[in-house]
Amino acid sequence: MRRGTVALAAALLLYPWLVSGTGSSAFLQDMGANVLLAALGAAAWNIVGGYAGQISVGHAMFFGAGAYLPLLFFHHWQLPPILGVPAGIAVSLVIAVLIGFPTLRLLGHYFSMATIAVAELLRIIVSNWDLAGAAIGVQGPAISRGWWDLIFRSAVPYYYIFLAVLALLLFVTWQMQRSRIGYYLRSIRSGERAARSLGVPVRRYKLYALMLSATFTSLAGSLYALKTGFIDPESGLGILVSVQLVITAALGGAGTLFGPLLGAVILVPLQTATNTWFGGGGTGLTYIIYGGIIVLIARFEPGGLLELWHRHISSRFNKRAEARDAA
Amino acid sequence: MILVQVIVGGLLLGAVYALFSSGLTLIWGMMNFINFAHGEFVMIGMYLAYLVAVAFHGGPLAFSLAAAAGLFVLGAALYFGLIRAVMRGPMLAQILSTFGLALLLRYAAFWIFSPNVVTLPHSYLSGMINLHGILIRESQLVVGAAAAALTIGMHLLLTRTAIGSQLLAVAEDRNAAMLMGIRPDRMQALAWGLSAASAGIAGALMAISFPFSPEVGGTFALIAFVVVTLGGFGSVPGALLAGLMVGLIQALSAYYFGPIYKDIIVYGLFVALLWFRPQGLLGKA
Amino acid sequence: MLLSAENVSKSFGSFKAVAGADLQVAQGEIVGLIGPNGAGKSTFFNCIAGDFAPSGGRISFDGHDVTDAPAEAHARLGIGRTFQIPATFEDMTILENVMVGAFLRHARRGEARDRALEVIEMTGLKELAGQPARNLGTPGRKRLEIARVLATNPRLLLLDEALAGLTPTEVQRAIELVRSIHQSGVTIVIVEHIMEVILNLAQRVIVFNQGRIIAQGKPQDVVNEEAVIEAYLGRGHGRKAAH
Repeated sequence: MRRGTVALAAALLLYPWLVSGTGSSAFLQDMGANVLLAALGAAAWNIVGGYAGQISVGHAMFFGAGAYLPLLFFHHWQLPPILGVPAGIAVSLVIAVLIGFPTLRLLGHYFSMATIAVAELLRIIVSNWDLAGAAIGVQGPAISRGWWDLIFRSAVPYYYIFLAVLALLLFVTWQMQRSRIGYYLRSIRSGERAARSLGVPVRRYKLYALMLSATFTSLAGSLYALKTGFIDPESGLGILVSVQLVITAALGGAGTLFGPLLGAVILVPLQTATNTWFGGGGTGLTYIIYGGIIVLIARFEPGGLLELWHRHISSRFNKRAEARDAA
Repeated sequence: MILVQVIVGGLLLGAVYALFSSGLTLIWGMMNFINFAHGEFVMIGMYLAYLVAVAFHGGPLAFSLAAAAGLFVLGAALYFGLIRAVMRGPMLAQILSTFGLALLLRYAAFWIFSPNVVTLPHSYLSGMINLHGILIRESQLVVGAAAAALTIGMHLLLTRTAIGSQLLAVAEDRNAAMLMGIRPDRMQALAWGLSAASAGIAGALMAISFPFSPEVGGTFALIAFVVVTLGGFGSVPGALLAGLMVGLIQALSAYYFGPIYKDIIVYGLFVALLWFRPQGLLGKA
Repeated sequence: MLLSAENVSKSFGSFKAVAGADLQVAQGEIVGLIGPNGAGKSTFFNCIAGDFAPSGGRISFDGHDVTDAPAEAHARLGIGRTFQIPATFEDMTILENVMVGAFLRHARRGEARDRALEVIEMTGLKELAGQPARNLGTPGRKRLEIARVLATNPRLLLLDEALAGLTPTEVQRAIELVRSIHQSGVTIVIVEHIMEVILNLAQRVIVFNQGRIIAQGKPQDVVNEEAVIEAYLGRGHGRKAAH
């Protein structure tokens, strides 16, 4: 496990340099940055959806808040977008409490329904609100006024910023996993009633998980806005954003540390490929495939690819061990 | 006078909301399961109506029956193929199963039918009715009345017939029902068929008056969530009452504040419900 | 009195599951709760555990009023319980399951782990500690549940049919375990169907029937009481058996 992690870290650190020699280096570096960003958003969702087992299907609301606020700070007051990042997080936390406080004491379905409803509510409000750019959206700085605008022509600086934030998030998740909060969240996911009987403050911990998740999802949205320089209701608050966050985590393995990264490594290139091959109609096909993947995961392997891997690899190890003992 | 027309129109549309929501609440009450693809069932009902109208030149009765039959089969098939398996699994599997299905159905419809908004080829029931100075389109009245009747019919089916009591027995206590010789699997598949059919008919009926596209499922799903929460867990009479209320609130919101507010206020109402009265109008705390 | 339940009743809609039950448990006792199925003992038990709030009456533990307190609060005050159908955390290992319990009293991972290992040793689960809980059979799960709740350092332990479905050998081992827990100073209330267990373990027995307590006393006395036999076997049998 340790060696694998070091190898992974090395690969991630060196990737931009490794592809710089190829013909399509810019494209590959850009895709690399997108993979990291997708992994970041999915890892953030993973905290509440994977570890705590509270399935949010409207996480776009946090992503959108994080994406809109920085660009609005620039649009209205010409401030560097990065100053809007804490505002995005603050708004996301308010939304998290607004939804989480009433629903996390009820059956899980209420929470899921509420996430869709609030995300859609926000999308409609923003679509019709001129101050927030309405349907047209909001633009970031066109030219860099200084390093603090974080506008780079190459994808490589973005790549490393995203990598740093992802590393931070994975570290936080890893620490959480090993500590009391991690054990409590997993117990809540496994059996709320039993968890309560052991003194776990279920409602409070679910809310903590949601707030932590909202914070990092918002951050992912902000990073997206910084890189692309543009946001509109569809790309910030649309259902497809929520879908992307969920499927990326679930495909790799919800509730695991590296599942979201694995999901991103598979899905981002896949989406790029289907979009290229099928042109305009490609987006439709991509989401048919996504829908199919989600149903298959739900039906056959809710633990995602990592779970599939563990079951087959560990069963092979056990067989080998048994054969050794028998010999 | 216009206000009265708006109110009547809202209530009539609300009856249709009640119809498809009663299907959702049936499943929820029976299996503790929310079908996130329920809105897509309504959408499929609309497109089935379209196909029957265009390919077979059928009228409202024909395409309503087609939608009912088609969706019934789809619902039951989904139960056996997907739902039954995930019911035993973790929450993630349960919620993602129908959420993924919704995505699949919606984008398959985009692929097959194109994203364009369509309407039925003819206008059916296009006459105007004048009730004491209130002008209503014949289609509105017939659709609303039919929807209300079907919802009440669903309630009567559940409470007054033998098969209804078997369904409720399985909902109450699966194991006890098995001991009484009822097959829970069959009953649950039947429930899914009924649930999907109610959505399908509602869609077919709405297709008469409204244009539609593959993305309408999302809005209908959310309306169904609100109606079902307002009406109370598993309650079909509650869904009827709540559906009428939601239709009314939508119409009044659009009238007083503007068309975009009809959804904003309903979704806002949902959030308020979750805070203050999640058990709905008729439920116990 | 460690636990005091006064005139507790619980209704579900129009159905009165428990109608005015009184129970006093002193520190250090082992009390058995018996009665036919549907008699209300499990519902009463769940009221004490904090799973349900009673419809009427008062429950107090160690001087605190816990009538309306949620289950988490009961646990924190020192009431622990097991479940009739074991509710172990399937996708966690045995050690992790027990650690969840230990975390109630030890905030840090290292301490919680040490405490969990201690309890695992005491309950005879040491060899299986790294295995996922879902690999266990029913007896193992029941044992794990007991270990898990022991890690919360309960002062009162509520065992809900913890010995049902075990083979005679396993029942003996379980009785040993419950005895050793009792000897370490834990007060125990045990709901049970198996007469042998009750007669062996309980110092005092409470009999439920149709939502009410119909008899109380020493096990040997209670099982001979007319009303008790009638509750189990029906009217008319009581008089014959008692004389």
